[in-house]
Amino acid sequence: MRGFFSQIATVVAMNIMSLPRRLWMSLAAVFAVSVVVAVLLAFLAMAKGFEETLAGTGTESVAIITRTGSQSELNSSMSRDTVNLVSTAPGIAQNAAGDPEYSAELYVIVDGIKRSTQGKANIPMRGISPQGFSLREQVTIVEGRMFEPGRNEIVAGQGVQREFDGFELGREIRFGKTAWEVVGIFSTGGSAFESELWADAPTVQSQFQRGSSFQTVRARLEQPGNVEPIQQFIDNDPQLILDVETEADFFAGQGRALTGIAIFGWILSFVMGLGALAGALNTMYTSVASRIREIATLRAIGFSNSSAFVGTLVESLVLSVIGGIVGALAAWLFFDGFSASTLGASFTQVVFTFELTPELFINGILLALTIGLIGGLFPAWRAARVPVVMAFQGGE
Amino acid sequence: MKDVYLILKNLTRKPLRLFLTVFATFIAFMIFGTLTAFQQAFDAGVDLAADDRLVVVNKINFTQSLPIAYVNRVRAVEDVEAVTHLNWFGGYYQEPVDQFAMFAVDAENFLTVYDELLVSDSERAAWIANRQGLIAGKSIAERFGWQVGERIPVNSNIFSQRDGRTDWDFDVIAIYEGADPQTDTNSVYFHYEYFNETQSFGGDWIGFMGVRTSDPERNEAVIQAIDELFVNSPAETETVPEKAFNKAFIEQIGNLSLILTSVVLAAFFVILVIVGNSMILSIRERTSEIGVMKTLGFTSGRIFRMVLAESLLLAILGGVLGILASGAMVALVNQAPIQLPVLVLGGSVWSQALLFMIGLGLITGIVPATNALRLNIITALSRS
Repeated sequence: MRGFFSQIATVVAMNIMSLPRRLWMSLAAVFAVSVVVAVLLAFLAMAKGFEETLAGTGTESVAIITRTGSQSELNSSMSRDTVNLVSTAPGIAQNAAGDPEYSAELYVIVDGIKRSTQGKANIPMRGISPQGFSLREQVTIVEGRMFEPGRNEIVAGQGVQREFDGFELGREIRFGKTAWEVVGIFSTGGSAFESELWADAPTVQSQFQRGSSFQTVRARLEQPGNVEPIQQFIDNDPQLILDVETEADFFAGQGRALTGIAIFGWILSFVMGLGALAGALNTMYTSVASRIREIATLRAIGFSNSSAFVGTLVESLVLSVIGGIVGALAAWLFFDGFSASTLGASFTQVVFTFELTPELFINGILLALTIGLIGGLFPAWRAARVPVVMAFQGGE
Repeated sequence: MKDVYLILKNLTRKPLRLFLTVFATFIAFMIFGTLTAFQQAFDAGVDLAADDRLVVVNKINFTQSLPIAYVNRVRAVEDVEAVTHLNWFGGYYQEPVDQFAMFAVDAENFLTVYDELLVSDSERAAWIANRQGLIAGKSIAERFGWQVGERIPVNSNIFSQRDGRTDWDFDVIAIYEGADPQTDTNSVYFHYEYFNETQSFGGDWIGFMGVRTSDPERNEAVIQAIDELFVNSPAETETVPEKAFNKAFIEQIGNLSLILTSVVLAAFFVILVIVGNSMILSIRERTSEIGVMKTLGFTSGRIFRMVLAESLLLAILGGVLGILASGAMVALVNQAPIQLPVLVLGGSVWSQALLFMIGLGLITGIVPATNALRLNIITALSRS
């Protein structure tokens, strides 16, 4: 048994050390695999980044209340009376003074110029109140100051800063007839709220002719994750045509919007992988052909045919793993942390960054290994069947 | 003739290698054909936009509304041939996930402004006469199985009726087709009056306007004239050519053409390396043969041309098969029950692909062909 393994080790070592002799063919196979892996990881990192951004946006401890069937904050609407009524629902946490902790918000769309395309894009502008700030985790003003209630002042998210022109600190912006000033930049730790502009809710109501209506209500839950009491309260009052969900569920649903991109990435890299497989097979068949006399000689001096088999297979796997690592590193270098924005569920731009997680990295290496395994298997089979007599013939 | 025979013999001498290289080329061109068809479909909204059509939206953003009184004022502007107005309805059929583009429009003028949506004259008259009538595009009608004459309920995820219901009943009057195969037929249009009278949010506002001008040359003047009308009003307007509007809209999703082009480039680059290497290798294996041929009196130029012809043939073989396969892929995607623009694999894809095939063949062949050209008979024969 020890002889068997030492034979294999010897053949593997011979194959690997003779790789420089077949440098260009081997590099072609490595390169093909690396491109396929990089393409796959780029798409997966895009979908993952979007998903994580939205997943990080919602929390279990806050409920979001929208008009039934509206599915997004943009489409929802409710009157001041509805807001007042639903805020008395049981299950909503109360502050020290005994008042319910909730925030009635507006959601309007304004234009920004997307840096990447220099075209107009939909930026969400949220009318919000100080309570709204306390309902979001990790809100910090990183530059400038908060807006003052009653004034046409805006604080802009860091994502907006990154992807769009026109919202720099101190900048005056016109929305129709009214002028607004950007007085601060806020961060929410990378969540989708950073793609928004925030302003004083009553001011947004008056400047955008919204009367006293709101679009959504956010409320802190007494028990994180439990919206049941609010749901029952809504069900028991025919005046309330509302949906309630935890914020985490609300945004998790929206985060799946780019799942299609991930599927597209898989299909694409599968098809490209077939091309790379053809390259790998070509390389390995050539490798076997060029070593045919060597293999036969080893067989003649007593090496088993399984050692030739394993030797070839390992060579193929090594090449593809190198390719996989190179591709994954390239994807990581070029795409990890890459900032982009796309249209989200509320018909507005969501700024997100590509995320190449270790889990995706493993996906890429597995794809490379699959190509290497299949690409090595058939040539290895041929190597194992090289007749000993070839050792004494011309070879190729 | 003899050369052609030799080229074919050389090409097929290692059938497995031939198959693998052709297959790799095939994959690259299949990806190219399919993704280019996708890209052209995404661009169709821009390419097919009418030059003599403008879009008038609220200057703040196109989702902000405009007073309906604006319509008549725009209609009076010089060189404006026809005006219609549209409201986004947020329609979905039965399931909230089954959303589609549905607009409340001014039916009288709508089909004049958007004349690429084809319905018969009698259908047009019937639609104008029926306040609860809608016209649906071919794709959307097929998706939901709607038939002309049917009465269907459609829900809105934005609006509700005065009694709180969010569904409206409609008569399907006509199913329109597009003037071009890639004209969007995923939209539904119905009467603004029906919408305005029944919805509960206070009415008499519109989403945006579509304007047909008398001549694309006059667009600039019309744009200025319209926007000047509403300067300093509570709802200022921004008028843009439809092409520009559609381009900005599609770019909101992201830089799709950059993504698709990068992927195609990556695929081609991989194939270039694989095929190029394989060509170099197969010529090197034939070194002594080429020496013999030269000894027999084959000129270097003739051998150069034969090698190049071989690599060209290889690229064209894989390329043509790949584009044919992408035709099948496109047909498959068009059949799939997903809301996608119609994909068309047109002549422009073929001609681009042919150029790429020739390019690929030349690039992969040039190094081995030059090697063969330069090969000295003595070294060639002594090397084996």
